[in-house]
Order: sequence, then C-alpha cells, then structure tokens
Amino acid sequence: MTDFIKDPVVSLPDRMPEPVIPGDELFFTDEEKKQIETWVSRYPTADGAVMRVLWLAQEKFSFLPAEVVQLVANALDMPYAKVYGVATFYTQYFKEKKGKYVFDVCTCFSCQWCGGYDMLHYLEEKLRVHAGETTGDGLFTIQEAECLGACGSAPMLQITNGPYVHNLTREKIDALIDALREGNMPAFESVTLPQDEDELSGNRRTDVDKTTSSVTPPVSETVK
Amino acid sequence: MASKAGDWRNYKRVLLPPVKDLHRLDVYEDHGGYDALRQALTTDKWDPASVTDEVKKSGLRGRGGAGFPTGLKWTFMPPVNPDVPRFICCNADESEPGTFKDRQVMEYNPHLVFEGMVLAGYAMTIKTAYLYVRGEYADWITHMERELEKAYAKGYVGENIMGSDFSMDIVIHKGAGAYICGEESSLMNSLEGRRAYPRIKPPFPAQKGIWNYPTTINNVETFAHVPLILSKGADWFSSIGAPSSPGPVLYGISGHVNRPGVYEYPSGMLISDLIDEVAGGMRGGKKLKAVVPGGSSVPVLRADMIDGVTMDPEGLRDAGSMLGTAGMLILDQDTDMVSFLRRITHFYHHESCGQCTPCREGTGWLENIVTRIDEGEGNVKDLDLLIDLCSQMEGRTVCALADAAAWPVRHTITRFREEFEAKCRPSLVATHVESAAV
Repeated sequence: MTDFIKDPVVSLPDRMPEPVIPGDELFFTDEEKKQIETWVSRYPTADGAVMRVLWLAQEKFSFLPAEVVQLVANALDMPYAKVYGVATFYTQYFKEKKGKYVFDVCTCFSCQWCGGYDMLHYLEEKLRVHAGETTGDGLFTIQEAECLGACGSAPMLQITNGPYVHNLTREKIDALIDALREGNMPAFESVTLPQDEDELSGNRRTDVDKTTSSVTPPVSETVK
Repeated sequence: MASKAGDWRNYKRVLLPPVKDLHRLDVYEDHGGYDALRQALTTDKWDPASVTDEVKKSGLRGRGGAGFPTGLKWTFMPPVNPDVPRFICCNADESEPGTFKDRQVMEYNPHLVFEGMVLAGYAMTIKTAYLYVRGEYADWITHMERELEKAYAKGYVGENIMGSDFSMDIVIHKGAGAYICGEESSLMNSLEGRRAYPRIKPPFPAQKGIWNYPTTINNVETFAHVPLILSKGADWFSSIGAPSSPGPVLYGISGHVNRPGVYEYPSGMLISDLIDEVAGGMRGGKKLKAVVPGGSSVPVLRADMIDGVTMDPEGLRDAGSMLGTAGMLILDQDTDMVSFLRRITHFYHHESCGQCTPCREGTGWLENIVTRIDEGEGNVKDLDLLIDLCSQMEGRTVCALADAAAWPVRHTITRFREEFEAKCRPSLVATHVESAAV
C-alpha cells in the first residue's frame, strides 16, 4: 500500500490470488521465448505483441489465471494491470478453467432464426449442463456466442476457439460429440459459395477434405 | 425504381472469379495475380500519386459499413516525413451480425487482399501494414499466414518488392473476440496492446493513428478492389452498378432463404432480385416479413418497404435504412419481431465496451425493457420509454456503438409497433403517445 493513503476506504488485496498452475510449470520455453521475440519485433513497442502472447499462454496453460497473466507481463516487460486489462476485455481469453472442448454456439441474429437456440438447447439436454457450465468429466463446456461470422451456414458453432462446424443438425451434433470423445477434432470445413456450385460444380478448394454447401436447415428442423 | 445493376444475370465475378484453388499463390499468378503490383513497381505507368488518383476516380467507397470514398481517405495522409513512421491497417475484424463476406475473400482469394495492401502502401509510401483479423477466424489466420509466407518468399511482400526500391511488411494480428474492435479507433488501441476502447475523433487516424502515427484503415473487401481497379481501369470499375457507389459488391445473404451465402454482383441490385432470384426465394414458400439490409445495426425494413429498393447507399437511404456491410438478413412471416429485437439488444449489451455511460447503461436497459416486453410483462408505455432511451444514447458517446444499438430498437418498434403492443400487458386506458418519426 502506498504511503499517502493512510486510511484506505477500500482495503485492496496486497497479494496475488492463490496460484493454480504449479510454479515449476510456470515458464516459457526457449523456443516460445524466441517466438515471442519475433512477435515483438513486428510492432513499434512490445505491447503490440501482448494479444499473441496471451494466446500462446492460453494454449499452453488452457486458461489465464493471475500467475499466467503475470508471466505474460514479465515476458513483455509490461505492468500486470495492463495485461490483466487486456486479458479480461476479450471474450476469447478464458479467465477460468473450461472444459477440454468449449462449444461456442452462435445464437446471434441469423443463427437465432435458423435454429441456433434449438442447437444450444439440444446440446444442453444432451450433455446435461446449462450454457456457461462444464460437464462433470471436464470434457465439454457450452457457451452462447455472439456472431461468429458464418451467418450463411447457420446454425453453427466453434470448438475451443478453433474449427467451425457449419449447418448444424441434431445428427451432426451427435456425431461431433462422439468424435470428440475419441479425441478427434473435426477437419476444417469449407463452405462452398453458391455461385461456385453453379460455375465450378462444387467447392473451389481442392486442399480441403470437408466441404458443405450453405443451405438453410429444412423448415421442419426449426419451425414448429 | 429499377435495378441499377444492369445485366447482372450475365455478370462475371472478379473478386472471387470462378477459378479452382485461386487461394494458392501459383494459381493466383497464373490468373494475372500481382500483375497490377508489377506494373506499379517496375514500370513508369503508375507513380504513387497516380495510384491514389485512379482509386479516387474509380469512385470506390469503403466496404466496411460507413461507405467513405477510399481514394479521398488516402489523400488525408500527411506528406511523407522519413522520420515519422506511418501505417496501413486492414480491418478484418468483421463482427457485425449478418456479415460474413470478408471471411470468404480471406478463404478463397487472400492474395488479392495482400496485393491491394501493398499497392495502397505504395500509393501512400508506407512500410508496415497490419492485417487485424478477429480471433474467431483462427483457421483462416493459419491459411493466410501460410499464403503470406509464400508471397514473402516470392518477393511480393517484404524487402525491395520485385526488385524495386519499395519495401513493405504485412503483419497478421490476431484479435480475441470483441465486436468493438471493428471500430477503427478501438482496433488501433487493440493493436497497441490495450483494451479496445474507441478514441475520440478528431484526431482522425490519418493524423494520429496506431501509436499516434499517421494511419489509413480500410476493410478487406475495399483493399481487394484496388488491384482490380489498377489492372482494369477506373472507368471499368465506375461503369459497374450504381453510379454513386460503383463496383462489385459481396452480398452476404442469410436467414430464411433457400440458398444463403455470399454472392458477388454489381452494386445497386434490387433487394427483391437478391431474395427471389439470387438466393433462391423464401424457404418453404413462406412469405417475406422483414429485411435487414446491412448488418444488425441498420434499420429493419418491412416487406412492404422493399418494392423497387436497390442495394446502394442512396437507394436504401430513401427507403429508410442503410447499406452498411451489405450483409442481409431475410426473415419470413413466422418471425417474432419482439424476440428478434431482444436478441439484438442482448448483443449490444454484451458488446458495449463500457467506456461511455450512456452506452454501457443504456444498452443494458434496452435489453431489460425489451426482455420484459418479450416475456409479457411490459406495458405499452415501455415502448415510448425505449424510444426516449434511444434518443438519450444516440450521438452521446465516443463511438457509434450506442447509435448502432439504438437504431434497430427505434426502427423495429416504429415499424412493427402492433406486434410489440400485442405482447404488452393489456391497458385499461387507451394510451397514444406520438412516436418519433420513422
């Protein structure tokens, strides 16, 4: 506590919260440090790289507790408060422990009217947890997401800030959960442009394994 | 009013031309890729000023939502001072609900964006460009980084591009999920490693942008037009579509149509053509109820308001809406407009950055009151309370998010008032309070 505040109205915590990541695991490897240096070199100040380093830290520690935020702050020589401010501002940085697979089910606007909530509720029933919660085995977290920019292939979800799964149906969700239980992440799914279907008779990319055409679900799926 | 898109049925796509694997550098090169850049850097045809002039002459207007003339924006950059760095930023944050066009450009034609960025850098003498992509697009960031690496290896980006004395770097910056980052000044704060709070304007980015240095920010689709304008000419570009906002447009159509997706057609298409012919008509043969023509923040149009309305800024302004991002949501007869508005207000409440009080508190109250009505607990006077609340948010904040949250509330209520009243608790005394003009 600074000297000039003699009688603080609010008592501020004078120490960090209890760490959850063991101290001997809390470091960046030399390789990661090199990667961070490369990112830093691309910006006029090291602060510019903070989002990338937070991503790196989240991939490594799966979420961002206070000691990880401190680690990132140390790596970039930034104040803890500033990094904490960034880490808590953006929705994709996890401030608490989540499941191994996080389902961000889009329910915004276009998805809402193409069955996004049906898919969210189906997932909730299937996994027996509410949106925002994690299953008991720590495998799945369900979240309601804001627009993920795949309105043409609604409803859709994103798995742990990674691959998109487009044109969701109940069957597709069943298959997805079975695959994830076996540890198989779905491959990149390319949504074919309707004009490509006419002019190129399908998806234009030959380097993707999985394609889907953007179709709305049948009326029976979403309209009661 | 008739379509301004001319013979659109025979339109040949240029942003996403029908070429297999165009996202690969070798295929892109085989189809005239980086030719415009080569001509600019290695021949006398284009000096930096003439590139800007050509873009100005073409009439290209920004495709990110505001529709500001691109060439004019470029001229706002101060004269070159070798001691002062300057930047380009490509806004690929695309998070307006209903908008998904930029992702298609990044997936299917990323080199066109890189080429456009380097050409813009050449026009404004800029050495560093940032491509700010929203964090959700992780897969597309990986794909683009792979292609960008190839472009570096071939010398289209980096030191002494194509043997000339012009050098420019492109850095892909990964966001982490915040709608507000699509606003240019908060995007700049985000790039600098701060919370993405919008900044007060002026100063505009051209005076004080990233790290307070001169910066030009354009949308992905806007940059993608630049190589086409240089290789085919400004006259070709300005002859396409609506004269006031010419050029090809990526229409993102979603909702209750048979073939949703991103379509490339000239600007100034009739909304009715886009629904009935392009997107294959209404799903299940249902009747059209409403159209949101350009992302969630633009005023919604009733089905009876779209007769003869064209997708260009003037056409939509006259109809009582805006072009926005040309991400259209089509809604059929079964849509509950109260529930529709409830979800929009939830979105803006979630995405308000919290910097300005009218927005932080106002978006929350909008959601609370609309939710109350949606759950049958509202009173008719709540509708006027909502409109009054909108008036207290609009124009009273640093950025336009408060306005973007207020417009759909104001216009959905005024245009579908009966539906809202029907969900309110019945009133014993008939009330009639004048609503604000549509």
